[in-house]
Amino acid sequence: MSGQPPINNKVVEVLVKSVLSKNGVKADEVKRSIPEEQKKMLREMVEDLKRQVEEFQQSQKEENSE
Amino acid sequence: MSVFRNVDYYDIDHGRDRYSYFDDTAFEGTRRNCGCGDHCGCKSSHEFSNHQSVESNFQSNNDAFELQDGAQLSWMDQESAEVIWVKESCHIKVNTTDTQIGVSLQAALQLAIALVLNISIADGQQRDAVSQELTQQFNMAQKNKQKILIYNTKDANVTTKDTDLAINIQLMLQVLIALVLLVDIL
Repeated sequence: MSGQPPINNKVVEVLVKSVLSKNGVKADEVKRSIPEEQKKMLREMVEDLKRQVEEFQQSQKEENSE
Repeated sequence: MSVFRNVDYYDIDHGRDRYSYFDDTAFEGTRRNCGCGDHCGCKSSHEFSNHQSVESNFQSNNDAFELQDGAQLSWMDQESAEVIWVKESCHIKVNTTDTQIGVSLQAALQLAIALVLNISIADGQQRDAVSQELTQQFNMAQKNKQKILIYNTKDANVTTKDTDLAINIQLMLQVLIALVLLVDIL
């Protein structure tokens, strides 16, 4: 598994965006409605998961190269 | 009806109401085993009840099948199974990948996506629609089954890999990040 994501980031972004807008979710409203404290919590969670995924990918890579 | 020529009956589930249909051609010349009043001996008032359908399904008709419409569900499903037989061999070295960490990571990502949707979309119906559509777009049903048989062999190395999980995890992370970026959290 190389470092490249399986699907282009832009594609995923457009897809998620279109799903949200199709269902009438307005990003601006959502931005305002989430309290700063919760945003911080989510930010930490995502960063943490990102790190875990990177570690996982790294370990897979090492196993493959063995 | 010609499609169902060889089928005694079939069922269609329309939401909560359940209808059963009988194909006449299959019953020609034979006594009907349904509860309808006209042509058969049964006197059941619930002619095409659910119960009877099931009964005839198991007792008299092995070819019966069900047609269903309605809810379209999408699961992020992943299954990995591995079987390695080593028979009448010696000095065989087996390396397999432990997918435990990957699977739990996948569950964590799934949870995180649900959490972000939960927080950002207050309307339950809207949220369900979004989450269903998202999982549908990234339909992640995967099955990975490996069977390896080693027979009458000496000095062999066997290594198995499961790359599906890694790709799946990467993809889910991408979705999560895209979501979070859109609601301006990152």
